Amino acid sequence: MMVLVLALALGVTLGLLTDLQIPPNLLTYVGVAVLAAFDSCFGGIKASLERTFDDKVFAFGFITNTLLAAFIVFIGDRIGVRELYLAAVVAFGIRLFDNLASVRRIVFQRRGWE
Amino acid sequence: MQQSKPSRTREKLTHLKDVSLRHIAAGERVVERGFQNARLMATLAAALMLAGFMLVAQWRGNAVLAKSPERQTDQNLAIIIQELTSENTALRSEIMRLQTRIIEAERETSDRSQLLNEAAKELQALRAIAGFELVKGPGIHVTLVDDERVLLPQDFVALVNELRAGGAEAVSVNGMRVDALTGFSGGDGTIRVDGTVLAREFKVVAIGNPDNLEQSLTLPGGLKSTLSTFPGVTVVVERRDELTVAAAPEPVFEAGRPVEEN
Repeated sequence: MMVLVLALALGVTLGLLTDLQIPPNLLTYVGVAVLAAFDSCFGGIKASLERTFDDKVFAFGFITNTLLAAFIVFIGDRIGVRELYLAAVVAFGIRLFDNLASVRRIVFQRRGWE
Repeated sequence: MQQSKPSRTREKLTHLKDVSLRHIAAGERVVERGFQNARLMATLAAALMLAGFMLVAQWRGNAVLAKSPERQTDQNLAIIIQELTSENTALRSEIMRLQTRIIEAERETSDRSQLLNEAAKELQALRAIAGFELVKGPGIHVTLVDDERVLLPQDFVALVNELRAGGAEAVSVNGMRVDALTGFSGGDGTIRVDGTVLAREFKVVAIGNPDNLEQSLTLPGGLKSTLSTFPGVTVVVERRDELTVAAAPEPVFEAGRPVEEN
């Protein structure tokens, strides 16, 4: 677990060091993509705790989820339904909370706190 | 006893072999699972790192956008416009004020430079009159020949006086400027100007209106006719268009000193 926290911290540090800024017209795309990426990560943590984790499935899911999220925003932009990104936000948000809850439950069960 | 002993030993050995094989297999499984776990962890860690990186980039971009006018509410925009308008007005009036100051300063400097110019011109004129500047212009050239050495210093004083009365602006005798401090002296047939003995042929140059100067010398009963009555003295007066009178040396005060009085 410590390794994962360190990896996240390393990513944040790298982002701070490289001074990269997403241009304003891409903000919505990357925002939803970030949400999708975090959702995938928590899904992966949950799967690894349930011992059903497969790294190929995870990597593929991570990439496709992220790209799909950005694509949904793009489609919404093109067909004049700008609010379509809200669908992606809601979907990924719910999944994020689900995954987090599962992780919490498993960890609590393992430690015998329940 | 003797027969059963080897068979029991074999049994024991077989058992030991089985046990050790099982342990090796278990160990291998553990190692394999460890490897797999490490791989899974590495994948997860890489994904998290990427997510963190994207998060920060997004955060930054959003922070920049939040400050841009497109993201402000109408009320905020109205306030911003009001502030900008009042700032604009203040800056406009500041520009006006500074421009007036520039115009004032320009006028002041032109006034001052004009004053300075006039003062410089006046100084130049005063220096010319006092004899400290080279003077060029029309005038007359007087040649005095005195073969018998009868001329006295008073005759030169009279000559310079006559010339000044005729409007001479600058006078020189044998190239020496006659200024406010010049004095003629001499005796025994020599004439000195400020202690310098003059050569025998005297050349007096006066700058001024040539007609007036000539008249002042050649009037009937004037200096020319008076001097010409002396034995061996000839006076030649010529009008010239372009004459030069040298500058006198700068004055040196030994006893007195100039005092400025307001």
